[in-house]
Amino acid sequence: MRFSLVIAAVLLCTALLPNCMRVTEGIEVDVAYQPAATPAAVRTDLGYRVRLERAIIAFGRVELIRCDNFVLDLRKLVTARRAKAHEFSSPTSLGVPLVIDLMESAGVPLFAGTLRPPPGRYCGIRVTGMPADQDAEGLTDENLDRTENSVLVAGRIEDESGQATSALVAKISDVLPCEIRFERPLVFDGPTLESVSIQIDHTTWFDGIDFALQGSSAVQQRITENVRSSLQAVLPIDEDGL
Amino acid sequence: MRAVKVYWVIAALLAPSLIASGASACGTCGVGDPTLTIVGFEQPKSQRLRTSATVRHRNDRIGEAQVDELRLAEQRMELAGAYSPTDRWTLSLMMPLVHRLVSAVNLAEADIWAPGDLELRARAVVWRDRKFAPRHLLSLIGGLEFPTSSIERDAQGVPLPLEFQAGTGSWDPIAGASYTMFSDPWSVYTSSIAIFPTKGTADTNVGTSFRQTVLGQFQPWRFLGFQLGVEFRIDQPGYIAGVRDPNTGGHITYSTFGLVGLPHDKVLLHFTAAVPTIQRLDGNHVEGLAITAGLVYEI
Repeated sequence: MRFSLVIAAVLLCTALLPNCMRVTEGIEVDVAYQPAATPAAVRTDLGYRVRLERAIIAFGRVELIRCDNFVLDLRKLVTARRAKAHEFSSPTSLGVPLVIDLMESAGVPLFAGTLRPPPGRYCGIRVTGMPADQDAEGLTDENLDRTENSVLVAGRIEDESGQATSALVAKISDVLPCEIRFERPLVFDGPTLESVSIQIDHTTWFDGIDFALQGSSAVQQRITENVRSSLQAVLPIDEDGL
Repeated sequence: MRAVKVYWVIAALLAPSLIASGASACGTCGVGDPTLTIVGFEQPKSQRLRTSATVRHRNDRIGEAQVDELRLAEQRMELAGAYSPTDRWTLSLMMPLVHRLVSAVNLAEADIWAPGDLELRARAVVWRDRKFAPRHLLSLIGGLEFPTSSIERDAQGVPLPLEFQAGTGSWDPIAGASYTMFSDPWSVYTSSIAIFPTKGTADTNVGTSFRQTVLGQFQPWRFLGFQLGVEFRIDQPGYIAGVRDPNTGGHITYSTFGLVGLPHDKVLLHFTAAVPTIQRLDGNHVEGLAITAGLVYEI
């Protein structure tokens, strides 16, 4: 009887033990978008002035790319063409859609999320612009057409003299996968906190376009290329100053 | 809710000790058969009372390697008691204390100590070939798992996969049957058990689980036996907040190798290694070697 009571008491103590949990953070990479400030009029390299009225871009996925796997993954691109945010998230990718109104969020970093990759060397980041879904962050009644387009630009174009003006409307509905190399590889071999800033310089979106000569499809094609090249991944400065 | 839970735990834990107040000492071989049996496999004998402490270690992997894999190393200490009020009935109670180390691919770790689900079982011998030292026993098993565990979450507050939880956090009825054959120095134990989890306290819904055990034992000496067996488990998928956990469900078969020894008339030691031999688990889910070591004390 005495022994069984001891056993029961031990069982009781075990059952009433409070939960105890200790968490050790691992490798974490904070990702943020950093749009450039929008000037009153964007001056292009061919001398045109573009007075923007709307400039919106929607991202659906951000993914770290290993150095040994930087070759363009065609299979992923094909998959991405059929994609629409929300995408699935994983430790090396964020599938959280985000709509950025470049007219309002100029200069303000927008937090995209935190990646939790395994140890290794990462040489770049793949950002995918894609039409947002209905519950994407940043989607408002005014920009609901983001659910159809990856990029939407509207404004007026002035020639060099500033007299001849015409309307500009560019809508990119395709999925835009953009692979951006880091200036230096990110090397993770132990728990650490790193950050990546994806800078968006939309003041270069109209470079190389002769609005007087080129048709709307050619303009749209060039804007698509310029959107890709306007993205840069910036890492914080190393302690070594590199 | 917590107070009700504690009340149930206290009641369930104290019940067997009160019931067993009239139990008399009985050696391992006092049941008329020298077969060494661990708790749950034994021959019921009126007033037989046994307690046990068992430590289990297992490894588990869920997710895609180098992408979203989570690794689990678990040590589970199970304290149990079994009491037979008559020659046909055995009541057993088991309380696990679980330590888990969950490692993510980004080297993040969660080190968790938590109680598992308290389990109460009743076994009734419905047929035996003779009253004293029966050679064949057919039993029915019924039981209940109490929701004494809680749902564990990672650093971001996301519930860990169901396979990594210390328990289901739900009231889970248990039903099954077992057959035992004693033919010194040989013995065979088979059991078929089904667990029917209900909705858990954290909106979890673990799938029904069916478990089949076949175990043969050869005991050339009074103090030592060798075990060889197969354990099969098939699970339905589980859900958290109505969303299927993709890495639950499927079936797995273990081959088991064990030793059971009697260093003292009242103390039995056992050791088992379970090697997964056939794995057909859903999603990305791989279970590893499981090792069990324990001590049974005959009161």
